[in-house]
Amino acid sequence: MKPNATVAGWLSVLCAGLGQWYNRQYAKAVMFLIIHVAGIYLALGPLLPQLKGLVTLGVKGQHFEKVGKINKLVPGDHSVFMMIYGVLAALVVVLFVLSYILNIRDAVVVGRRLEQGRYRDAASSSAFPWLLLAIPFLGVLFFTIMPIVFTSLIAFTNYASPNHIPPKNLVDWVGFATFDKLFNMNVWSSTFTGVLTWTIIWAILATVTCYFGGILVALLINQKGIKFKGFWRMLFIIPYAIPQFVSLLIMRNILNDKFGPLNSYFRAFGLNGLPWLNDPFWAKVSVIVVNMWIGIPVTMVLVMGILTTIPNDLYEAADVDGASPWMKFRNITMPYVLFATAPILITQFVGNINNFNVIYLLTGGAPATMKYNNAGETDLLVTWLYKLTLDFNQYNIAAAVAILIFLFIATFAIILFRRTRSFKEEDMIQ
Amino acid sequence: MKKSKLLMMALVLTMVFVLAACGKSSNNEASSSPSASAPATESTAPSESAEDEEVVPEAGAKLVVWYSASERALVDAAIAEFKGKYGIDVEYQDVGPDKSIEKMITDGPAGVGADVFLAVHDRLGSAVQAGVVLPNDLHEDVSKANNSAKSVDAFTIDGVLYGYPMSVETTAVFYNKDLVPNGEAPKTWDEVISFAKDFNNEKDSKYAYMWEAGNGYWSWGFFGGYGAYVFGDNGANASDIGLNNAGAVEAAKFFQSLKGQVLNINSGDIKGDIKTSLFTSGKLAMNVSGPWQTQEFKDGVANLGLMEFPTLPNGKAMMPFSGVKGFLVNANTQYPIAAKLFAELVSSEKYQVENFKDFGSLPSNTVVAESAEVSNDAFASVFLKQFDNSTPMPKISEMNAYWSTQEAALASLWNDNSDAQKTMDDWATKVKDAIASSQ
Repeated sequence: MKPNATVAGWLSVLCAGLGQWYNRQYAKAVMFLIIHVAGIYLALGPLLPQLKGLVTLGVKGQHFEKVGKINKLVPGDHSVFMMIYGVLAALVVVLFVLSYILNIRDAVVVGRRLEQGRYRDAASSSAFPWLLLAIPFLGVLFFTIMPIVFTSLIAFTNYASPNHIPPKNLVDWVGFATFDKLFNMNVWSSTFTGVLTWTIIWAILATVTCYFGGILVALLINQKGIKFKGFWRMLFIIPYAIPQFVSLLIMRNILNDKFGPLNSYFRAFGLNGLPWLNDPFWAKVSVIVVNMWIGIPVTMVLVMGILTTIPNDLYEAADVDGASPWMKFRNITMPYVLFATAPILITQFVGNINNFNVIYLLTGGAPATMKYNNAGETDLLVTWLYKLTLDFNQYNIAAAVAILIFLFIATFAIILFRRTRSFKEEDMIQ
Repeated sequence: MKKSKLLMMALVLTMVFVLAACGKSSNNEASSSPSASAPATESTAPSESAEDEEVVPEAGAKLVVWYSASERALVDAAIAEFKGKYGIDVEYQDVGPDKSIEKMITDGPAGVGADVFLAVHDRLGSAVQAGVVLPNDLHEDVSKANNSAKSVDAFTIDGVLYGYPMSVETTAVFYNKDLVPNGEAPKTWDEVISFAKDFNNEKDSKYAYMWEAGNGYWSWGFFGGYGAYVFGDNGANASDIGLNNAGAVEAAKFFQSLKGQVLNINSGDIKGDIKTSLFTSGKLAMNVSGPWQTQEFKDGVANLGLMEFPTLPNGKAMMPFSGVKGFLVNANTQYPIAAKLFAELVSSEKYQVENFKDFGSLPSNTVVAESAEVSNDAFASVFLKQFDNSTPMPKISEMNAYWSTQEAALASLWNDNSDAQKTMDDWATKVKDAIASSQ
């Protein structure tokens, strides 16, 4: 019989392993057959109820039945667990479908090789990585992909307090109704747009102030005439070394209008002081300034490192050409620093969009406002999301917001990163 | 392209893991439901036949209890007694009553919640709505007979009693006898205002009267006193919002007027710790707080007094919010009978006495409340009187809408001196919107 790739392929389509058998790779054929049978058995047996559960999210809630004097709990379906198991089952099914496709491809490839009269199974070291990757791949699938899929799916349900909290009440699929609510229902949309606007303004301001502040401080300390350099460096790094959980809560008291030391100083000089955390505008100024206090050390240390890598002869050449300090900074220092820190600038920007600590510990989103739903004037999307889940149990809206944050950050980061010179000219550093 | 055994091995390995993974997950599913229901069925049988006889806890039961760490000694004593009586171990975990229900809603159905936990009644509606608490059926009659009607009512929803009442709490006015005129605290708001005019001195940060004005728990007394209500039918009817009725607007106007006359501080700056430190350092004459701070103030203020809230200008008493703490039993517990027995034991008269002695908590048990020890106590008796003059926090799940909106509304009244009628109308609308938006 003449080997034929097409026949092998079609046989494998018919039943996994058949093509391999035809190719006379018996062990492999048996393996594929076992996987195939196990897959069909699992999908139609134990996995089917889980998959059905993923579709229905439960049909009966838990309730009590009174037996004599005692209330007996009648267990019902727990929509959220059903969703988790359903997603797991779906992932398993996807794996089996993949193995089925692999089985067909294998039959065709081996069949083609046999047609050309080459060896049946040339053991290749190129497959070794596959073996190594199998376990991490599973780990990633079930511990990274699964939770993300699960979280995203929540956005398409009505999982929210008070009426749809299982196990007593079931959760249902609602399609895009949650997003519709978020964009079109007045209380939600005004909060969302307001908080989003402030989040973007905050992220830009916080990043820019910390970045240039850090460069400025690093350059100042590195100036020739500056004494006690080690002392200055230490002084500026200290705010970064104190846990924010401590320092921000203390800051909060320092900024207190009536009793805080900051306004006491102002009053000692006959000034009135400022409503630091009470006024919407000044609260925003406060969080940005306090964030500089925390964020500048990071950039400072970074830039100090970069400054040492700039070849000194560049400056010497510039001196010979009679360049002013500003020209040296503009044409030598800044390009070097920018080139090395542009990717970090992006991570800082992204980090600031999700800068939970500063906002939550310093203001807690305050001052409160009548304009927003479950959010205050300085709340970022991420602190709002925290309140929505932990304080108000609005899981579906929170999941929708989380998806939007992710989409926003991901697109933004990719576009910006691809535009940086460090990405385009990455061979410059090699 | 090359094929290899290794590739196949990788694939098989993958599949083996997958099989193991899903085998496990389906096992969990299968085993979790019977294990949750099996003990329940077992346990119903004996108690059914033995109607009024002694209830026997499940064999091999092991309980977990949630309680606040600072008052752990009380529950430890109950654990020891329970162990001696039934031979059942109870494990203690630190979850305070203020967040226990929130945690139970997620942990209970997952099978990792405590069997018995302490909670404040105002979140009961959410717990019942989520189906995570068992009704108090075994000891219903005992609980009803022993505890004050208000505290039993606080743990009853739709005629079903859920909790085992433990203690009641409300707010009242602590004062420093050395600072108020003649050692007598002003009894009406007019007197408080005139006292504040003499006493307040911003430069030395001396204040006559202080409470957390921007907080809907601490400021409710004004609104309640003028006849405002959050929800109608004693807090049960979410479609009837009484935040913008005539009384509420009048209360809002009076509330605003106090900023200029009594306490010229923005709401965001009045914090509990600041209030406490001013009070204990003799710079604050009258301080609104609850029974949980009694001991702290006794230590810090030499001549401490406690009074009910000052009378409002309309001649009525202020009606602050009050809360009832009680034990609840997890609906998903594997040992419902044992859990109920423990809840009953730890909330019994004996432990309410201990709770009062050690931590100053006001008993919900009527016998303890009327005992000489409590009624002669200068602080507890005032708190109990104020408790009679208080509005229990509504417990329906829609109350979330009040908590999520109160801070903004009060801050706008207090800090921005906004129009009272408009702000209260806005507040009522916000509550309505918040209820609608979470549907």
